[in-house]
Amino acid sequence: MKVVIIGGGWAGCAAAIQAKKSGADVLILERTDLLLGLGNVGGIMRNNGRFTAAEEMIALGAGDIFNITDRCARHKNIDFPGHKHAWLYDVTIIEPNVRRYIYDMGIDVFFEARAVDVSMDGKAIKGIYLHDGTLIEGDVFIETTGSTGPMGNCIKYGKGCSMCILRCPSYGPRVSISRRAGVEDLMGMREDGSYGAMSGSCKLNKDSLSKEIRDALNEKGVYVAQVPPEDVNLDKLKMKVCQQYALKEFAEQIVLLDTGHAKLMTSYYPLDKLRKIKGFENAKFEDPYSGGKANSIRYLSMAPRDNSMKVKGIDNLFCAGEKSGLFVGHTEAIVTGTLAGYNAVRTSIGLDPVELPVSLAVGDIIRYENSMKDTQEGIRKRYTFAGAGYFERMKELGLYTTDVAEIRERVERLRMEDFFRQRLI
Amino acid sequence: MLRYIDCIDAGTDFCPCTLAERKECIICPQLQDRNVCDCLNWKGTCMCQEFICNGLKSKKSREFKKFDIVETVKLREDLFQLDIKVTKGLARELNNIGSYVFLKREGDIEAYSTPSSIMNSDTVNNIISIVIRIVGPKTKALKEVEDKILVKGPYWNGIQGQRFLKELKNKSCLILARGVSAAPAVLAAKKVMENGNQVYVLLDRGRSTENFTKQKFKDLGCKVEDVSFFDRSGNISGENAAIIEHLLKKWGFKVVLSAGSDWFHRKMISFIRGLDKSINFSTVNNSIMCCGEGVCGSCEIINIRGERIRSCKQQYDPSEVFLKEMDN
Repeated sequence: MKVVIIGGGWAGCAAAIQAKKSGADVLILERTDLLLGLGNVGGIMRNNGRFTAAEEMIALGAGDIFNITDRCARHKNIDFPGHKHAWLYDVTIIEPNVRRYIYDMGIDVFFEARAVDVSMDGKAIKGIYLHDGTLIEGDVFIETTGSTGPMGNCIKYGKGCSMCILRCPSYGPRVSISRRAGVEDLMGMREDGSYGAMSGSCKLNKDSLSKEIRDALNEKGVYVAQVPPEDVNLDKLKMKVCQQYALKEFAEQIVLLDTGHAKLMTSYYPLDKLRKIKGFENAKFEDPYSGGKANSIRYLSMAPRDNSMKVKGIDNLFCAGEKSGLFVGHTEAIVTGTLAGYNAVRTSIGLDPVELPVSLAVGDIIRYENSMKDTQEGIRKRYTFAGAGYFERMKELGLYTTDVAEIRERVERLRMEDFFRQRLI
Repeated sequence: MLRYIDCIDAGTDFCPCTLAERKECIICPQLQDRNVCDCLNWKGTCMCQEFICNGLKSKKSREFKKFDIVETVKLREDLFQLDIKVTKGLARELNNIGSYVFLKREGDIEAYSTPSSIMNSDTVNNIISIVIRIVGPKTKALKEVEDKILVKGPYWNGIQGQRFLKELKNKSCLILARGVSAAPAVLAAKKVMENGNQVYVLLDRGRSTENFTKQKFKDLGCKVEDVSFFDRSGNISGENAAIIEHLLKKWGFKVVLSAGSDWFHRKMISFIRGLDKSINFSTVNNSIMCCGEGVCGSCEIINIRGERIRSCKQQYDPSEVFLKEMDN
C-alpha cells in the first residue's frame, strides 16, 4: 500500500511519519532541495496553546517531530509580548535532523520533484505527474503543498516576489493538486475583504546586528527595541497572516527572537528605516532576501475538507497544513498532517477515517476551523493554538493547560494513549 | 500522458505579449480571466510579475528591419535560396530549432509578410539562409527583391513538438523529409547533433533527382539516403516501409522529425506509431501564419481533445494532432 505525499513541509513530514508508522510505504514529492518548507525559517513552538497541543500529540503517540524540535531548541520557556513559554528551535540545524529521521524510518523522498498534474480514474487519483512528465502512481495521496505563493499571487495580492525560502523562481511554482483533480480552491480573506494574507515575520542575519543585541538574543532568546514614533505603522498589522502576532506591541516595538537567525516579528521592514534604530545600523535580511520590501502571500489555495482531513469530492486525497485551512504555524501543520497520514492509511485498507475528539485542542481546532471557514467572518480569521481568537476559545473551553500530567489524563480518559503508535497494516 | 501545453515565447524577451493585455495568455491563468496562480507550464519566469512590473503593458513586439541580401541562389524554377546578412543578435536568436522570420519586400503592404523557416543561421558571419518555393503572390513578391529585404523576427515555432528534439541527448533521431519542408530540418539536425545525437535522414527525391538539402545534411555529418516514399496511390511503398522498419529496429530512434506537408505528417506518424508506440514526433509547422503573434487566428488548429491551438506561438504534441483521424 503506497501513500504519496505532495509537499515536504512540516505537514507533509508529519503525514509521512504517521503513514509509515501505520504501516504504509511512503513517498514524499518535494519541489525544492529541502524538507520543511517555511519551517526552515520558522522556529516558534509551544507558545501559549501550542504547548497543550504538542503535549496532546505526544500523549497520543505522535510525538516524533516534537521530540526533534525540542532537541533542536536554542531557547526554552521564553516569554515575549503576548506569548508565554515559547520554545525556539534552531533553524540552522532542524532540516538535516528531520531529514535523517525520515530516512531512518525508510520513507522515500524525491527532491526537486515538482508535482504539476494528476492522472484520474473517475473521482480517484491514479497518479501524480511530475514537471518532467514522470507519472508517480499510488493508492492514496496527501496534499501538503501549502497555500503560499507563487510569484503571480505574491505580486497580485502582495508587493511582489520577496525571494523567500520557497524559492519559486528556482524550483518552479506550487501547483494546487486538488484543483487539478477538479476541486475548486477556497481563498482566505483579510479584514478588508481582499484575498490572501502576508507572512508575518522576516529574519535578519544575526551577525549583522550589534554585539549588545546578539548577546541579548543568545542569552535570553528575545530582544525588544522601540520603533521610532514616525515609523509606527498600525495598518501593516492588518495584512499579516499571523494574527497572534498582530498586536499593537508588534507595531510599536521591534521584537526579535533568536531562532539561529534574528526573527523579526513583522512582515517586512524598509531597510533604511530599520538601520536608523540603535544596534541595527548594519542590519541585513536573511529571509526573505527582499524583507525590506515584501513578504510571501498565503491562503489562496485551500482545499475543502472534512474533519478527517479528506478532500471533499476526491475519493483518495487527503490534505493537511495550510492546504487544509486557515491554520498558522508548525504545530498546526504537524497536527493536521499526522491525522491526514493516519486516515490515508485507514481508508486505503477499507476502514472509515476517524476524527480527533473535540475534548482535545487538536481535535477542536480542526472541527472549529472547518465550521468557521464557511462564514464571512470566519474566512477573515486565522486559526492557531498560539493566539488570535482560537487561543481565547481554548481558554474558555478549558482546553488550555501546561500541566503535562493533566493532558495525559485527558488522553487516557479517552482511551487514546499512544493511539498513533498502533500499526494498521 | 501529461498535457503538453507550451508557448514558444514564454519567458523570452517578447513575454508577456499583447495576449496578456487581452487576458488571453496561453500559459498564465492570472493573465487569462482567473484570479490565482495555476501555471500550466513553468518556463523559469513569471509572466504575471513581468506584466505588472512593466506597468500592465506587454513587451515590445517584433518589428520589420531592413537587411542586405548577400546572395540569391536559384535551386529550381520555383525554388530559390536567400542569404541575408542580419545583426549578430538576430543571427544568434535564429540559431534555434524551429526558427523562422517574416519577410517582406520594401514598399509592399503588410499583407505580403511571408513566414519563412531558417535553414541555417551562420553566427560567425551573421548570415541567415532561407529557401522559398514560389506558390502565390507573397512568394512571387519575394522573388522580385534585389539587394534589400525587410525581416521581422525572431520567431521559433516553425517546428512542433520541439521539446522532444531539445531533450534528446546522446541518442539518435530520424528525419523524414520531402520538398521545401526539408529546409527547417537542416537547422534542427544541426542543433540535435550539438547534443551528441546521431541523425539519420531519409530524403524524398520529389520531382528532382535529389532534394536540395542533401549536401547540407551530409556536411553536418548526418547519414542521408535518397528515397521516393510513396507509390502512385499515395501509400508508403513496400520497399520504403521495410527501410523505415529496419532503421527503427537498428537505431532505436527516440524521436522522428517529419518534414513535409500535413498529409506527409499523417502518413508517417500513423505508420511509425503502428510500429513503435514509444517514439515521439516532431513536425514541421505548415499552418498558415499571418501575424505570428497568436492574434489573427489563421494558424489555429484543433487537437485530439478539441482544444484550439494557435500554432504560430503555441506548441503541441504532433501525435495529438495528426493521429486523430487514425484514432477516430
